[in-house]
Amino acid sequence: MATYDFLFSSLGLKEWCAEGKSDAPMSMAALLSKSKGTDEQEVSIWELPFPSMDALNDSCARFPQSRDLTKGLEEGFLAVKDNLSVVLDPITQPLSWALDGTLYGMLNTPWWIVIPVLLAVVLFVTKSWKLVGFVAGSLCLLAFIDYYEYAMQTLAIIFVCAFLCVLIGVPIGIAMSRSDMMQRLTIPVLDMLQTLPPFVYLIPLIFLFSVTESKLYGIAIILYAIVPVIRLTNLGIRLVDKDVIEAANAFGMTSHQKLFKVQIPLALPNIMAGVNQTIMMSLAMVVIASLVSAPGLGVLVLQGIRNLELGVGLVAGLGIVILAVILDRVTKASLARINASQKQ
Amino acid sequence: MGQDIKISIRNLYKIFGKTPDVALEYVKRGMGKPELLEKHKHVLGLENINVDMQEGEITVIMGLSGSGKSTLIRHLNRLIEPTDGQIMIDGENVLDFDEERLRKLRREGMSMVFQKFALLPHRTVLENAGMALSVRGFKVEEFESEARKWLARVGLEGNGDQYPHELSGGMQQRVGIARALASNSPIMLMDEAFSALDPLIRSDMQDLLLELQEELQKTIVFITHDLDEALKLADHLVILKDGHVVQQGEPQEILMNPNDPYITDFIADINRARVLRVRSVMEKTSEAPEDCAGDLSEHDNLESVIARSNGDTDLVYRVTRRGNQIGILDMKVLVRALVPTESSDSVERAQL
Repeated sequence: MATYDFLFSSLGLKEWCAEGKSDAPMSMAALLSKSKGTDEQEVSIWELPFPSMDALNDSCARFPQSRDLTKGLEEGFLAVKDNLSVVLDPITQPLSWALDGTLYGMLNTPWWIVIPVLLAVVLFVTKSWKLVGFVAGSLCLLAFIDYYEYAMQTLAIIFVCAFLCVLIGVPIGIAMSRSDMMQRLTIPVLDMLQTLPPFVYLIPLIFLFSVTESKLYGIAIILYAIVPVIRLTNLGIRLVDKDVIEAANAFGMTSHQKLFKVQIPLALPNIMAGVNQTIMMSLAMVVIASLVSAPGLGVLVLQGIRNLELGVGLVAGLGIVILAVILDRVTKASLARINASQKQ
Repeated sequence: MGQDIKISIRNLYKIFGKTPDVALEYVKRGMGKPELLEKHKHVLGLENINVDMQEGEITVIMGLSGSGKSTLIRHLNRLIEPTDGQIMIDGENVLDFDEERLRKLRREGMSMVFQKFALLPHRTVLENAGMALSVRGFKVEEFESEARKWLARVGLEGNGDQYPHELSGGMQQRVGIARALASNSPIMLMDEAFSALDPLIRSDMQDLLLELQEELQKTIVFITHDLDEALKLADHLVILKDGHVVQQGEPQEILMNPNDPYITDFIADINRARVLRVRSVMEKTSEAPEDCAGDLSEHDNLESVIARSNGDTDLVYRVTRRGNQIGILDMKVLVRALVPTESSDSVERAQL
C-alpha cells in the first residue's frame, strides 16, 4: 500500500489501476524496499511525499512515471526527426557549403595574403593605424607560436556565422519593431535562446544532423549568437526619435522610404552594438562547438581538458582572448565612427 | 490677397481612449472634459472645433499646453485621425482620402515645421532642406539648386554641407523652414516652430516668417502658446482652451473685445501700446478733424503714435489708407484704450 491509494479508490479507479499492475518495470526504490521486507508501513505526516508522478505510480501502476516523460519526449523527437531532417537538411545545406568554403579559402590562401587582407579590412572599418598595428602584432604572435591555422579556422567560422546572424537577425528585428504582436511572440523565444545553457543546443542538433557536417556547429553558433542583433535592431528602431518619424510622415514618406532613409540609419549605432555582441557570442560558442567537431582553437582547449595538457589548453585559451580583443576593438572602433557621424 | 477659404474645419472632435465612439456620444450630449475622464477614462482632446482659414493668411492657434492645439494641427494632415467631423481643404474632405491621396497631400499640398526641428541627423543641411523633394523621388543633383535657393533665402547660404548638429538651434529651425518652403506647398503648418528658441532669435525668426509671407502668400497655420507671438503674426487668431475654441477672429478685435474671462486674463499682461494698431481704436469718420496734428497709417501701432505725439494728449490725428482719410484718432481715446478691460475674475474676487 502506498500513500495515495485513497485517491484512486475514492475515484473508483482501483480496477483500472490493477489492470496494469504487472507490466511496469520495478523501480530501484521498490526493489530495495522489497528486499528489506518493509513494504507495508504507515507514513507519518512528516514523510508525506509530494503527489508526484512517481508517488502516484506507487499507488496506481497505470499512472506514468516521470522517466516515461523524458522517454516520451525522446521517442517523440526521434519519431519526427526523420521528417524534420527532410525539410531542414536542404535548407541548411548552404550553411555547410559556406562554412566549408570559407574554411578552405582561408586555410589555403597563403598567410602573406590573408594577414594583409585582414589588416586592410581593419583599416577600412576603423580608419585607425594604431588598431591595425595591434591586430598585425597579435596575428603575427599567433602565427609565430604555430597557432595561425587554428586561429584562422576560428575566425572563418565566426565570420560566416556572424554574417548570417546579421543577415537573418536584422530583418527579424525590423519585423519586431514594426509589429507589437511579432515582438510579443518573438521575445519569449529570444529569452529561451539566451538562457538555455549552450550545451543544450547541441543535443537536439546531434540527433538532427550528422556530426561530420559543419552545419551542425554552424546552427548551434547562429542560434546562440543571433539574439543580441535581433534585440538591438528592434530596440534601435523603436528608439528612433518620434519627432523625426513624425516629420517623415508629415512629408509623405512611404513606410519603405521611412525604413531605409530614416529608421535604419538612425538605428545603426544600436544595430552595430548588436553586431558587436553577436560576434563576441559567436566566439564563445565556437569554443563550445568544438565538442561537435567545430575546428579551431576550441579543439585545442578541448584537447587540453581531455588529455590534461595544461600548456596546450592555456595557450589556446589565451589565443581565444587575443581573438576576442581584436574582434571587440575593431567592431567597437567602427561603432564609434558611426556614432560620431550621428550625434544630434 | 485671396479671400477664399483654404482650410475649413467643421465639427471636429477628438477623443483619446479605448472606445472613442461611445465617449463621443456622451460628449455630444454635453458631458464635460473632467467628467468624461473620471467616469469613462477617456480624454477629450478636441470638442466641436469650427475654424475657417483663409488662403494666404496666417492663422494662429493659441492656447496653453494641454489645450489641444498640437492635436488640432496634426489633424490637418492626419498625423492624428479625428473621432468625428470634417476637414475640408480646397473643398475636399481630407478624411475621405485614401492612403495614396493622403500621401500626395502631405508631399505636395502641405509642409510642416516642428518645435524640435526634427531634422534628419545623418543628412547634411542641404539634403534636409531638400527632403520634401527627395521624398518625391528627386536625386540630390536634381533638387540641389532648389534647396540651396531656399537655404539662402533663410540666411544659411554657406551651411549646406554641414550636419544639423553643427548648427545652433535657431539655424536648425531655419533649415526646418527652408525644408518646408522647398516643398513648394501652398499650406505650411508650424507647430510651435519658434517656442524652443531664445527670445531674440525667436523675434528674428518671426520677422523672417513675416517677410517670407509678404512675398510668398502661403496659407500658414501657426501654433503657439505665446500671446505676443500670436499677436505679431496672426491675421486670424483662434484661442483654444481645454479642447474647444474660446474665441476667434481678428487679433485686434479679440484684444478690444475679449468675450471670455480666460482671454481677459490672458491679455491682461501684454504691452497693449505695442500690439494695438491705430485702426482698432480710431473713430471711423471721413470728416477732417479741426486741428489735425498729422497723418497716421491705420497699421501704425499705438506705441509709435505716442512717441510721435511726445505724450501730448490734446492732439488729434488723421488716419489714412492709401492717402484717403478713413478715420481720426484722438490721443485721449488712445490713452483710454491702453487700460485693459478689467479681468472678470478680479471683479468677482473683489465682490467676494
